[in-house]
Amino acid sequence: MSNPILSIRNSVKRYGPVHALDHVDLDVAEGEFLTLLGPSGSGKTTLLTAIAGFTDLSEGSVSLRGRDITNEPPEHRDFGMVFQGYALFPTMTVRQNVGFPLKIRKRPASEIRARVDECLELVQMGAYADRMPSQLSGGQQQRIALARALSFKPQVLLLDEPLSALDKKLRADLQWELKALHDQLGVTFIYVTHDQDEALSMSDRIVILKDGKIQQSGIPDTLYNKPRTRFVADFLGKSNFLSVKVKSREGDHLECVAGEAAFPVDATGHSGTVGNSAEIALRPERIRLTEPGKEFLTGTVKQVSYLGERCQVLLTHSVLGQILVSCPTWKSGINPNPGLQLGFGWDADACVILEAE
Amino acid sequence: MKTSPFRIFFNTGAWAVLAFLLLPLLVVIPISLTDTSYIGLPKEHLSLQHYENYFSSAEWLGATWTSIWIGVAVAIAATVLGTAFSIGCWLISSRASTIARWVLIVPILVPPVVQSLGFYRFWVKLDLIDTYFGVILAHTLLALPYVSISVFTALANLDRRITQAARSLGASVWQTVISVIIPAIRPGMLTGGIFAFIVSFDEIVGVLFLTVRTVNTLPKQIWEGIQESIDPTIAAVATFLVVLSLIATAAVSLRKKTA
Repeated sequence: MSNPILSIRNSVKRYGPVHALDHVDLDVAEGEFLTLLGPSGSGKTTLLTAIAGFTDLSEGSVSLRGRDITNEPPEHRDFGMVFQGYALFPTMTVRQNVGFPLKIRKRPASEIRARVDECLELVQMGAYADRMPSQLSGGQQQRIALARALSFKPQVLLLDEPLSALDKKLRADLQWELKALHDQLGVTFIYVTHDQDEALSMSDRIVILKDGKIQQSGIPDTLYNKPRTRFVADFLGKSNFLSVKVKSREGDHLECVAGEAAFPVDATGHSGTVGNSAEIALRPERIRLTEPGKEFLTGTVKQVSYLGERCQVLLTHSVLGQILVSCPTWKSGINPNPGLQLGFGWDADACVILEAE
Repeated sequence: MKTSPFRIFFNTGAWAVLAFLLLPLLVVIPISLTDTSYIGLPKEHLSLQHYENYFSSAEWLGATWTSIWIGVAVAIAATVLGTAFSIGCWLISSRASTIARWVLIVPILVPPVVQSLGFYRFWVKLDLIDTYFGVILAHTLLALPYVSISVFTALANLDRRITQAARSLGASVWQTVISVIIPAIRPGMLTGGIFAFIVSFDEIVGVLFLTVRTVNTLPKQIWEGIQESIDPTIAAVATFLVVLSLIATAAVSLRKKTA
């Protein structure tokens, strides 16, 4: 990456014998929407608070545009931060909250007033300037917190699970708004979440963490369609995992077998030596369901779950075990019921060979 | 609807307990209005002579003012120290700070006589016996636990991320304390200050140990008044204090209603 705005090198954070961060390297590009995604205890929040300056690293460094800021206190870093619990100042009005960073920076009152108005317009809260935080709903409070964190034009905006406390519909609306705000302002966003939908829908790039280590990073499409490990494939969306043996190889095309079932696998970028065993991830929506005999495998419907736009079918296969299939309800053409025999299959590029963890 | 005998029994009992608690307090009112020159109920008519005596006696008024200004000084000192201590513990939030908080509260459990004896031995060495500063210092130490409990309760309701938010927005620790934390815990500080004033205002054991002639507070004056004579002025002073307390309580609850 040429000229990253933020570089984290070899960062380690130990709490006793536990590594919250285990030698993490990360570069953040100017203007990027970067998401740190992982389950609780993965180190994503530790990494964010280390960037913000609230966590002292045991080893390693953080630098901003090439300047080492590892030992700078948070107030000198010039990063805006938005929290899950909003963290608005309860004794100040909305206007005073949003103007707080500017007042600390001793800007003239007229400039503060104009900038606060501008920021409140940005989050569509212009009419609420004189309210107290306690008079606002959760979604409104989070907009104010966002306006406050943006009012002093920070170098980077850090967001720590900002939508987790909100209900599902509001969360979805705010995802669009956050993304639009990012595109409009061009500020670098570093966003922490454990919610894969948020990560996939907003990010330019996702970094997946587990046990204080980066598992994989990339654009959402790559992470979803080409997960490197079982953990990534399982954490981001749903996957079926198949243990197979490589029977033959022709260029990037493998022929794999599991019991008497044989099927093609696309092995672009993978070694896949003939005779070795491999683990394969297969997305439920990439599996086609047909009448028995029309595809290369046959299974029995065990359970069906109707989700409105989609329908999830759990098949059992004599060798592969349980296979989860997800098909759009509007075009499936078949009506799966428990006990029904169905044919199923997939394209070679639907399979992803996983690295051993 | 018929009232059950149980209900009548419990209602009567409750009122009886209330009367038992309140009547000894209220009996000072008729005594303060007595026309006799000793402590007793009015004989022939009501009289305000003992009030007149209180408000014209340099000794009584002097003791009252001394208690008030010592109380105010203690309230200010204890609130400043107790708030600083509590905010510090809250910000550090380690095992050591939790232990420090408990240690500060322990003096509440020590019997006042023991504590006063301790003060006495130290104050003699420090040459603080019978000085205003000595009394204020002792009372401040007695009031600190109450202030720190009250301020800590207010802090417990404050989201810790507010501190992080303020600092990420550019405020130093000091600016965060001044402009964000203190405004949010002001009610707790006020309560603590009132407590500190009350602790000082009616403290008697320490004052008896630590003062001789120079410092004369109201509780000490009342104590000596009872010992030396049976002057009903004491009842007038007591009534005056009860009325003052009622007015103060009413003012506080009215303020809460409008706030």
